[in-house]
Amino acid sequence: MSERAFTRVHGSVREYEVFARKQRIEPLRLIGSVVAPDDDLAAAYARATYDEERWIEMAIVPRAAITTLWAPGQDDQP
Amino acid sequence: MSLPGLVLSLADNKQLLGLRYAEWATRAPSLEADIAAAAMGLDDLGHSRVLYGCLEPLGEDPRGPERETDPASHRALPYFDQPWTSWPQFVAANAVLDTAFSVMIEACVDGGVEVLRSRLRKMLSEERYHFLHGRSWLKAGIDHEPLDEAWRQAVEWFGPPDGDVAGLRRQGSLSMGPGELAARLEERLERAAPPLEVDWSAWDPARRRGRPGSIDGRTFEMLRGLEEKRFYPAGA
Repeated sequence: MSERAFTRVHGSVREYEVFARKQRIEPLRLIGSVVAPDDDLAAAYARATYDEERWIEMAIVPRAAITTLWAPGQDDQP
Repeated sequence: MSLPGLVLSLADNKQLLGLRYAEWATRAPSLEADIAAAAMGLDDLGHSRVLYGCLEPLGEDPRGPERETDPASHRALPYFDQPWTSWPQFVAANAVLDTAFSVMIEACVDGGVEVLRSRLRKMLSEERYHFLHGRSWLKAGIDHEPLDEAWRQAVEWFGPPDGDVAGLRRQGSLSMGPGELAARLEERLERAAPPLEVDWSAWDPARRRGRPGSIDGRTFEMLRGLEEKRFYPAGA
């Protein structure tokens, strides 16, 4: 998955996907994304933006760390 | 100063910090920073309510009727007297002063007073994100002027080496004295405080600040609930 280029306040920022779940029996699911220059600020932004609900777990992953095998609209789906 | 006096100072500073954060909820450099300013503002206003609620169980509420008429009776630091006019002021407060208050809360949570040990613990988990926010923006670089001022006021707020906080440390009410608090702050921020010379003879032990002054009139009216009356229907 390619990383989009953002030109904002910081010279270089990354997009992070935010995952969370409300109960132990649930899997983590994608609930949104944030853009930040580093992991610390991304964590602070994710918590500030998505903490309205009573999540028992929240995690962030740099979008660039996700390897997409196939996606809607792509021809190489098995 | 008594322990309730220190807790009131912490509460007043958290309240003003929360209000100043909230003023930046639509002015920060990015949408994410706007949201973080609003969220941190809500956190700190909530923390101040918890801290005010600790005064009665501590056995002494130092708040008097003068708080309705005299803005200088509030115990916030000079840094919060006026709304911030620049983002670096926000960052310096977020990184240095908010962390200084958290370090003091740690000293309360690890101290020997049960009501503080039990009620303040949750604040530290919320403050972790304030710290990450402040430290990251600090690493991005800001003007040294607001940063130096925030450091000075943090050190002044911890108090003189042989003052009240040192006494509370000796009694076991707090787990850290002024020197340990300053060292913990430096450790957290991964940087040394700038060279500081504090004139403790001019220091106000009740307000824990080295110079006079008070919060601006509009903020004072807001604290008293008067500001919102501007929005009442005529005659209400």
